[in-house]
Amino acid sequence: MAATLKYAYYPGCASQEITKEANETTRLVAKELGIGLYDMPKANCCGAGLLTDYDYDLYIALNARIFAEAEEMGMDIMTICSTCLMVMSRANADLQKNTALMAKTNEILGRAGLRYTGGVKIKQLLWVLAGDYGLDNLRKKVVKPLDRLKVAPFYGCHSLRPSDALGFDDPAKPWSMEATIKALGADPVEYRGKTKCCGFQVDLVNEETAETMTATRLLDGKAKGANCFVTPCPFCHINLDNYQNLAEKRVSKKISMPVFHLAQLVGLSLGLSAEELGLSRHMVSPESVLK
Amino acid sequence: MKIKFRIRRYNPAESEESAPYIQAYTVDVSEGMTVLEALLKIADEQDPTLAFRKSCRSAICGSCAVTINGFSRLACSTQVIPEFKKMGDMVIEPLSNHAALKDLMVDFSPFWKKIEKVTPYLTPKGGSENAAITTAEETAIDSSQKCIMCGCCNSECNALEIDGKYIGPSALAKAWRFVGDVREGNSVKRLERLSEEHGMWDCVRCVHCTQYCPKDVAPLKQIEMLRSAAMAKGILDNPGAKHVEALVESVRKIGRLDEAAMTFKTLGFLRSLGMIPLGFKMQIHGKMPHIHLFSQIEKIDEVKRIYEETGREKEEKKEKKG
Repeated sequence: MAATLKYAYYPGCASQEITKEANETTRLVAKELGIGLYDMPKANCCGAGLLTDYDYDLYIALNARIFAEAEEMGMDIMTICSTCLMVMSRANADLQKNTALMAKTNEILGRAGLRYTGGVKIKQLLWVLAGDYGLDNLRKKVVKPLDRLKVAPFYGCHSLRPSDALGFDDPAKPWSMEATIKALGADPVEYRGKTKCCGFQVDLVNEETAETMTATRLLDGKAKGANCFVTPCPFCHINLDNYQNLAEKRVSKKISMPVFHLAQLVGLSLGLSAEELGLSRHMVSPESVLK
Repeated sequence: MKIKFRIRRYNPAESEESAPYIQAYTVDVSEGMTVLEALLKIADEQDPTLAFRKSCRSAICGSCAVTINGFSRLACSTQVIPEFKKMGDMVIEPLSNHAALKDLMVDFSPFWKKIEKVTPYLTPKGGSENAAITTAEETAIDSSQKCIMCGCCNSECNALEIDGKYIGPSALAKAWRFVGDVREGNSVKRLERLSEEHGMWDCVRCVHCTQYCPKDVAPLKQIEMLRSAAMAKGILDNPGAKHVEALVESVRKIGRLDEAAMTFKTLGFLRSLGMIPLGFKMQIHGKMPHIHLFSQIEKIDEVKRIYEETGREKEEKKEKKG
């Protein structure tokens, strides 16, 4: 039953700083829903995909250190970042299917007094809502149905692919965001770019690609009638909201598309205030769609 | 079972202005029939003008890649009935990120040019008389060798969709086949070239290539191996490698990713100045990341220990001692 859900909570680095409204809102929403989130004070950064470009063994060992903390707490991990989800899930899958790697990693962890046996599952808020908690239960908690919102679900990349390591949703025909949006009383908008990349990983490497990509996704959803976007990932949020202005300049088009974190959309339907949701921290004000 | 195929047609021979259009064909599909078999049936029984490529019919030649219900697949290894039952439709289009020549046939010359760019042949040290390698050495490049050049990964690649000059996943997976080969004599030079603009650091990590590769080549994994090989060889003077270095140092010091420091280290002083107008706007919304001077995670000493005890850094320490 929903009330007994407990997770080792891994907000990820971005949501402890630049997108901290996602972290704060998730805590409020979890409280309202009766989902227990337990802090992981020792948890290090998963590597955000970049550690794999430096040293595979280090990437695996540092991720195993995160899993070891959750294992000690006796809980699965819930994150609110799709990149953390993907990075940790790939490491976990590699460790679980490769006993030699697990042994080698534990030898390294052992020198720091740690151990991981492979018993932790990695989830994200979206999966917890659409899976463990259940959308029927979520629907019952809605006090303010979001019936004026036409929401473009932006899955991005790392909540869907690679599906052999992630395994919750189907990258060719995803359903979890649309179903969650409907449970909150809003209308999901169908558009091709919903499972594509926001460009975040090359923000600092190739701005032209990153900004054009961000603009393309936003314009795609807008053309299909969306009046707002929602994303389960803070990195996608950084590009879609924070850098929307740069994207507009790059393609010389006004976009003005409010973008919500998944937790904020849930929070809105639970009756939390704009202040509690940290909406003033957005670069593109969502005021127009909340009247 | 009768299934309606909606196929994107295009015939520039008709007129210069001819545009692609969708044509529907109803096919009586039997259990186990593949999309390629259905296309052949359409060409045989309904419309001999429908153009598409095929050869081996058994997922070895890589000729028949098309877009099926929005995603790049081999027509010969996709069964019609399960696909139709899952997606509720049967839309067949040419590969994305490739120009259509006629109907489902695309121009592959840009694909081959990208492959040629990575000099897809071994250039051994001093002509290496003995070409034998061990099983373990072969395993390191095994995934790359499974590639059948079907173009699914390039078709799905989100970076290529925006930047046609990007070298792309197929060529990068091929590049690892040679960079990762112990007999190769020019690995460092290859890595230097791949570190240039529109090279391996432009991958956006969308994971489409790896998700839709029909042969499990996992191009993203090969790109990661190229990148870490380049960094290990000290090829660091590019934004991609600098970005990774900044993260590696940030996690070593505080256990977390320090956004402000990473932006500064990746872009350098002058380009960071360009971020100031946006920075002001972010500051107003409370979005400016702060430099983390004191906010270490608990037990950071464990992280430091793991760095010292792992892979590359452990090797480097050993070399220094030796």
